[in-house]
Amino acid sequence: MKRLLVKYYKKGDAAFLSHRETMRVLERALRRSGADLVFTSGFHPRVKMSFSPALPLGVAAEAEYLEAAVEGEPDLEEMIKRMNDALPEGMGVTSLQVMPGYMPKLSRWARYGLYRVEGGGGALHLCMRLDGEGGGRLRDALQLLKERLGVEAEAVTRVGIYASRDEILEENPGKVYFYHAGKGELEEMEDSGAG
Amino acid sequence: MGDGVDSVSTFFKRDIGLVSKPGRYLGIEVNARHKPLSTPGTNCVLVYPDVYEIGMSHLGLAILYEEINDREDSMADRAYLPWVDMQELMERKGIPLFGLESRVPLGLFDLVGITLQHELTYANVLRILSLAGIPLRSAERRDSDPLVVGGGPGAYNPEPVADFFDFLVLGEGEEVIHEILDAVREWKHMGKKDRRGFLRRCASIPGVYVPSLYRVHYRPDGTVSGIEPLEGAPLPVHKRVVPDLNEKVKPRRPPVPLVESVHDRCSLEIFRGCTRGCRFCQAGMVYRPVRERSEDLLHGWGRELVSATGCDELSLSSLSSADYTRINSLAERLSEDLERKGVAVSLPSLRTDSFSVELASRVGRIRKTGLTLAPEVASPRLRAVINKELSDRDLLEAVGAAYREGWRKMKLYFMVGLPGEEEGDVEAICGLVRRIMREGDGGGPPRGLRLSVSVSTFVPKPHTPFQWARQISLPETARRHFILKEGLRIKGVTWKWHTREMSYLEGVLARGDRRLGPVVEAAAREGCLDNWSEFFSWERWRRALEGYGLDPAWYVERERGEEEIFPWEHLSAGVKKSFLWEEYLKALRGEPTPDCRFADCTDCGACDGKEIVNRLAGGGR
Repeated sequence: MKRLLVKYYKKGDAAFLSHRETMRVLERALRRSGADLVFTSGFHPRVKMSFSPALPLGVAAEAEYLEAAVEGEPDLEEMIKRMNDALPEGMGVTSLQVMPGYMPKLSRWARYGLYRVEGGGGALHLCMRLDGEGGGRLRDALQLLKERLGVEAEAVTRVGIYASRDEILEENPGKVYFYHAGKGELEEMEDSGAG
Repeated sequence: MGDGVDSVSTFFKRDIGLVSKPGRYLGIEVNARHKPLSTPGTNCVLVYPDVYEIGMSHLGLAILYEEINDREDSMADRAYLPWVDMQELMERKGIPLFGLESRVPLGLFDLVGITLQHELTYANVLRILSLAGIPLRSAERRDSDPLVVGGGPGAYNPEPVADFFDFLVLGEGEEVIHEILDAVREWKHMGKKDRRGFLRRCASIPGVYVPSLYRVHYRPDGTVSGIEPLEGAPLPVHKRVVPDLNEKVKPRRPPVPLVESVHDRCSLEIFRGCTRGCRFCQAGMVYRPVRERSEDLLHGWGRELVSATGCDELSLSSLSSADYTRINSLAERLSEDLERKGVAVSLPSLRTDSFSVELASRVGRIRKTGLTLAPEVASPRLRAVINKELSDRDLLEAVGAAYREGWRKMKLYFMVGLPGEEEGDVEAICGLVRRIMREGDGGGPPRGLRLSVSVSTFVPKPHTPFQWARQISLPETARRHFILKEGLRIKGVTWKWHTREMSYLEGVLARGDRRLGPVVEAAAREGCLDNWSEFFSWERWRRALEGYGLDPAWYVERERGEEEIFPWEHLSAGVKKSFLWEEYLKALRGEPTPDCRFADCTDCGACDGKEIVNRLAGGGR
């Protein structure tokens, strides 16, 4: 058995698909991908797969993840092609890789979400934890952005999912606001100085 | 197509996030065809007059969607009744109802096709027209308005909504749709002038019924005295039947619902028609004769559907799937191929016998959620009345087989209010259920079995032997429900009943006439979604009926005589009125009529003896 990591995007109208609906279309696309999928056991077998944490309705995403188990030697190029033919407009698979044995499960490393918030003619980056404190938090963070910085969000996109804050700073030089849900605070993340 | 389209697209940018489950309105389903509207082409929108989750499961519209979109000169979009929050928002923002894929307002299409699947969706039909800003009545529409076309089983008596349709199609649509599209194309090329002349031309297409070309005359007592065809319209209008279904293999790539729908599965239609002859069943009368598709065709098509949709359940659909002559072999072959892919094969309409249960168990190896059986009645006398051959023993054996195969949740369907029913027949339902809970496991009690008993009120339907019969009144229904409530207090048993007033309204509309048109219009102004108990209001309908001086009991509770001219007298479903009358008399005498697949022809009138005949995949009669 191999573990596959599927990286996909969801934008435009597709951003209005709920998490459950997104899982359904991805499961169907996987079923049509030609891969020899692994199913859960029991009365109602399902494709064995897991997803990155739910996106609020209306938020687009550039790099979400799905982990699935397959048997045999999957033809990754062919799978990407077939999945893209089987996804609704606005969704697509950008990469597909066999996860090395040492790589932790998606649920273990998908800890931070980085968001691009557009509004008032500009854009800024917002980072927050995805695990832990429960739902509805992106809305709180956006409210705080409005109160503190006067930025009214017109479009929000989750640009990536990361394991650590350092990883974000390495990839995204520039100003990133971190939303600290516990304290209800926004803080500027330190620029690592790279680039 | 300026304003409407622009405002819809702004609406999507700004407001779509405000409604519940916006996935229902996006139109980005996998396999959606997204054909653009065009000026020379014929632009159609197919409408299911209920919410997305129900409409997307409907096979008939999926077939037509593909028939139309496969033509180079035509396109078909889809629309459903938006949920109440969306309806309100659209009205507030001045957004007309639009086709899901094109986002073009319905009023800009050439043809709006609406399926009539159930009487309780009639108010929804009017709601859809008013949300779309299309004039409600055919007589009020101008040449530039779309043609509003109806179809589905409701078209066999569309009289309560006849005024709102330009024309309706009787019977199967996959052939006649092409004749209609040809006619519309020609009319469009001529500049869409003389709408009435065009409708007259449509009336000459077999299967097409143009209500405005028939004048209905009434007697002082409200019964119909005659139906007069105008301007050369045919009398009667005959339904359309596709003789050989092996030549019609659609849908092949149906759009896949984005939002979980009521039947979240792919349907493989294995045959049409049923000749078991249950006397209450409209489908069993109007879809005759039986036409099975070939086993090899279905085997390949089923696999194709799974790979074209990615669905995890393939349902072998028909009116009684265990009756398919090659069912064992087809089901085995498909489940063998599909099981490895995690796809379940299911049989949605099971006969009440152990053969069916064992079959369902064999093919449904990987999924055992619940089993539904429909004994309908519990006394031998009523079984003879409805012509449903079944004994307590058959039912007990079916339940026993299901129990042994591992089912612990079962659902039984019963009906109350059938012609000739007495209190003892209702008590017999309780007795039978008790017996199942006592002896359901091969003589012993089926431990852990949870039985759900669902009871509906019988509603006499047009074109059935019971079209002459009376439907029971609201107090009579309440009395029966009381007997059941007392008698079904059994451990492990829960029971559900249909809302009495819903069945009553269904009864008014099912055998209604054109005088009900304004009533439907008035009731629809104040609400819709009558099949949703949270929105249904008998009061709203009662007031509307009263406002037009019509008595619901006259439509519902009156037994009709042999000489009665029905409001649907000018519409033919193939089966002869004289056959239905004989069947009614036999029902009252408790005499059986055998299935013509296995016994002699009953001369019901559905076959023509040449092309249109029973066609069985496994050979035989």
